[in-house]
Amino acid sequence: MADIDAMIEQLDVILKAAVDAFAAAGDREALQQLRVRYLGKKGALTEVLKGVGKLSPEDRPVIGQHVNRTKAALAESLEQREIELAEKAKTARIEAEKADITLPGRKKTGGALHPVQLGLDEITAVFAQMGFVVAEGPEIEDEFHNFDALNIPPEHPARAMHDTFFLKDLQTNDEQPMLLRTHTSPVQIRAMKRFLAEGGEPPLAVVAPGRVYRCDYDVTHSPMFHQVEVFKVDRKVSMAHLKGVLKHFLSTYFEKDVAIRLRPHYFPFTEPSAEVDIGCVFCAGKGCRICKGSGWIEVLGSGMIHPNVLKSVGIDAQEFSGFAFGLGVERLVMLKQGIPDLRLFFENDVRFLRRMGASR
Amino acid sequence: MKIPFSCLKKHVALAETPTEIANHLVRLGHEVEAVELPRAAVKGVRVGLIESKIPHPDADKLSLLTVNIGENEPLAIVCGAMNMGEGDKVPVATIGTSLPNGMKIKKGKIRGEVSCGMCCSEAELGLAEDAAGLLILPADAPVGAEVGEFLELEEAVFDLSITPNRGDCMNVRGLARDLAADAGLALADIDLAEVTVDATLAAPKVTVSAEQDCPLYMARSIAGVTVSDSPAWMQAGLIMAGMRPVNGIVDVLNFIMLDLGQPMHAFDADKLSGDISIRSALGGENFAALDGRELTLNAGDLLVFDDSSVIALAGIMGSQPSGVSDGTINIILESAFFRQARVSETRRIYAMVSEASMRFERGVDPLMVEIAMQRATAMITNLFGGSAGAITVCGEPGNINSGRQVRCSVSHLESRLGIDIPEAMDDVLARMGFGISRKGDDLQIDVPSFRHDVSIPEDISEEYARVIGFDAIPELLPPLATTAPVQKDTAIHDAVTGGFLQVVSYAFISTSEQRLFVAGDGADIELANPISDAMRVMRRSVWPGLLNTAKHNLNRQQAGVALVEQGRVYQKTEAGHEENNVIAWLMTGEAQTDEWFAAVRQADFFDLKGAVEAWLALRGLTGRFIADDAIQGLQAGQSAKILIGRVEAGRIGRVDGDIAAALDMDAPVFVAEIDLDALPEGKKAKFAPLPEFPGVERDLVFLFDKDTSSDAILNAVKSAAGKLLTDARVFDLYAGKGVPEGKISLGIRFTLQDAKRTLTQEDSDTASNAIIGAMEKRFAAGLRG
Repeated sequence: MADIDAMIEQLDVILKAAVDAFAAAGDREALQQLRVRYLGKKGALTEVLKGVGKLSPEDRPVIGQHVNRTKAALAESLEQREIELAEKAKTARIEAEKADITLPGRKKTGGALHPVQLGLDEITAVFAQMGFVVAEGPEIEDEFHNFDALNIPPEHPARAMHDTFFLKDLQTNDEQPMLLRTHTSPVQIRAMKRFLAEGGEPPLAVVAPGRVYRCDYDVTHSPMFHQVEVFKVDRKVSMAHLKGVLKHFLSTYFEKDVAIRLRPHYFPFTEPSAEVDIGCVFCAGKGCRICKGSGWIEVLGSGMIHPNVLKSVGIDAQEFSGFAFGLGVERLVMLKQGIPDLRLFFENDVRFLRRMGASR
Repeated sequence: MKIPFSCLKKHVALAETPTEIANHLVRLGHEVEAVELPRAAVKGVRVGLIESKIPHPDADKLSLLTVNIGENEPLAIVCGAMNMGEGDKVPVATIGTSLPNGMKIKKGKIRGEVSCGMCCSEAELGLAEDAAGLLILPADAPVGAEVGEFLELEEAVFDLSITPNRGDCMNVRGLARDLAADAGLALADIDLAEVTVDATLAAPKVTVSAEQDCPLYMARSIAGVTVSDSPAWMQAGLIMAGMRPVNGIVDVLNFIMLDLGQPMHAFDADKLSGDISIRSALGGENFAALDGRELTLNAGDLLVFDDSSVIALAGIMGSQPSGVSDGTINIILESAFFRQARVSETRRIYAMVSEASMRFERGVDPLMVEIAMQRATAMITNLFGGSAGAITVCGEPGNINSGRQVRCSVSHLESRLGIDIPEAMDDVLARMGFGISRKGDDLQIDVPSFRHDVSIPEDISEEYARVIGFDAIPELLPPLATTAPVQKDTAIHDAVTGGFLQVVSYAFISTSEQRLFVAGDGADIELANPISDAMRVMRRSVWPGLLNTAKHNLNRQQAGVALVEQGRVYQKTEAGHEENNVIAWLMTGEAQTDEWFAAVRQADFFDLKGAVEAWLALRGLTGRFIADDAIQGLQAGQSAKILIGRVEAGRIGRVDGDIAAALDMDAPVFVAEIDLDALPEGKKAKFAPLPEFPGVERDLVFLFDKDTSSDAILNAVKSAAGKLLTDARVFDLYAGKGVPEGKISLGIRFTLQDAKRTLTQEDSDTASNAIIGAMEKRFAAGLRG
């Protein structure tokens, strides 16, 4: 008969040796081999169990309990060591994979919209939200649309103020000279005519962005620049509406509540006509270099559409009235972004474009 | 136009400060460019009494003066002038004073004698262009007083920009009228000078045959004048108003024009032959203008003739020979009303602007013609002697621009302005010269002869609004219409997502730039009045502008640029002309800069092709790139036309090396252009179920002849591989070591997929074999071993 006490002692020896071996195992692979050695089919514990048959029947359950207890202790010790090793491996991997996160990221170099485009988009969006329809017109115009229909007859002094570019060997069907439009106001005429021809009846509200040309080139003038023409024709449109729309637009565009001031002025295509000033956006009206100490900055020309203009497209000026204004996009962008020199827009220096353009 | 404050005050008793007056002017619609204080510069110039005068011991032309300027001790001053004596009062610039000519007065020694100040002439005080000696002040000038204050020189000058509709305000009187009406003050009566008519002096004989253009002409002789400089106060006034003194007669006429708005002209009667006639030019007449220009006149110009020649381009300029000079003794004075449109057209044709033409073309007051003539006569005879004859009058002042009425309703005006108009406004309009009668809601308004700009109810609404101030009109948002949203054009927005910077360049370029990419076929649109040769023709391609922009930036240390522009191109057509919307790209230099993770790489054709393909894809379009070696300005073998469906919508390629070299651009330059108006509607995304079964991917590598088109290869793959093929692309391209000369190794990766089942080895073998067979048959290409 085998000695139960010797077997129990053997189990304790195995347990102790196993725990030591587990602790010595350096990686998961070594641990796996130890698992086989102690807990496998041919492992140390199995070997001990083989001797159970030699015990007396009353000792068998006792040794069985001992074996199970040892097995459980082995398994637990093994598992704990596995966790330790996994953590160690993870720590080592993390250390190995450590990056210098201060290196710059792999950027896709973005493009950018031109600041004038950004201005055009912002301006047009304000009016589109107010229900104005976007319209465009030709840049090569005739005198009728650029001048006559806008109540600027040939001998009118205002015509000289426009510094018009004329085009060689290009004439309308009735042999009128063609020119580069000096303002976006001819879109008023074209949009109204088209609208009426399609059977429309006012209200008609239009915003017309585009390029315009003046034969004038110096520090503060560019021979090509951008304007946005805005007009609305309806019954009972009044100057108060003009002021309301201007106030809403200018406050939205400049992202603050700007004060507006209308000064009587003269444009042949509006009556009354007004120059529009805003409270200086740089000094909040206190007076600075930009506003020449006046606290006001001139931003655009406006007025109530002249009855002759409405008549020229066949709208009854007694029944309908309208307001119109035209604004210089470059000027507004310069004021909003603090850009000091008009020429920067057309120089297209990429450093300027990246800094001032709307990045995409 | 510059208006001295003191001149305004002669017409209306203004009590406010220049700044306050400037604000009123602005509110009334007269833009004030600046309020100048030209006389501030004479501060420190005091009234001095010459107590003694002895010759300078060492200089014949200098005197030693002791001058009392009201201080304890008189000043010792060395003076070079000759016209002063003991007891005279003169302006003394004290130490530290800066004079208008920039001179700063310092204590100094002149030829050994101490001088503690300077006695001044009119010129040195900025009161006249030049002067012969010191300005001798009146005996009642208080010793020690500031000369500027004593002479009332320290005043404000308003620099105004008068709008072209307000010809009536191109003079002191008109502005005073606006200010008086606004402030509720009385407008002073015009000093109607008494003129004694010399009955022995014959009135000039005048015939007007162009009554339409010259409805009123007055002329009078003044005989026996002695022309000299105009008085200092008048010269000072003219200088302040921005005009140069010329001679006494001309100065008087200019002074009255500034004051009352009526331009006049004086002829030297002894230089005229025979009678005066006003008629239209027949064409071809010669005219020697006062400004030195020799003109050949056009039919229709309104002219003043004597018996032998043209003596004036009516309302614009007199002739050189007939003008008044210092030696003139007898003059004929002209005051007239010339029709605005006539003056405007003529002066535009000859690009000849004068103070007179600016006023005539904006419209003068017919009732002022005679008043101004009388004022001028009185002033001339008072200052320069002579006697005046009777006035010859052709035309009737009361018939010109008279009897005009505007009828409208108050409610109409109120609806246009968006405010209530009180009855009190009528008084303001009356003070501005309008005649007003009200019957209930109806207004009947008589327009005064000097207001050429008022003819319709809207003009009246502006007059009301001007006076109450536009500030009184509330800010009201109109009812907002709801309109269908319009699809926004996103062409440029899509283009910049690919790393491109949008540029905006001028629509006009030089003819030589035009010829880089477009042949000279006569379809250029040329400006008649270009600013320079660099901006002579309307562009037919955006590329020249992009090239210039690229060059500008490469010259500024940019290693590479990627630019895009959306704009129009313009050309003549059989029907006339057209302007088309295009978008154009340019890439050159580094497409990839050196980074810690990547090596530097120069942009090539495929960088730009990829950008254009991606842009087209955003619009639901696919382009076919067809090699085209005949695109002007692009390098053969690296250029293509871009077809969308069957439409040729654009071009792409490498800019010809010679063109790039001429611009000093070393790296290859690639450009593309797409005609936006030619683009068809893109495909809208359509839902398709996601595949449930996995696809199979296989790679095949072949050896092809070097010039084989990958497009043709892929098309052959697609038609050979069968229905299961979902994608085929080039994944590798290699030539060099291991590949025979004249061959390329090209790898094709293709994907097979079936919506209903998992594919088998047999499926992919079948497709592979079909592709291998097709490559063999079509291109004699075999698998690379």
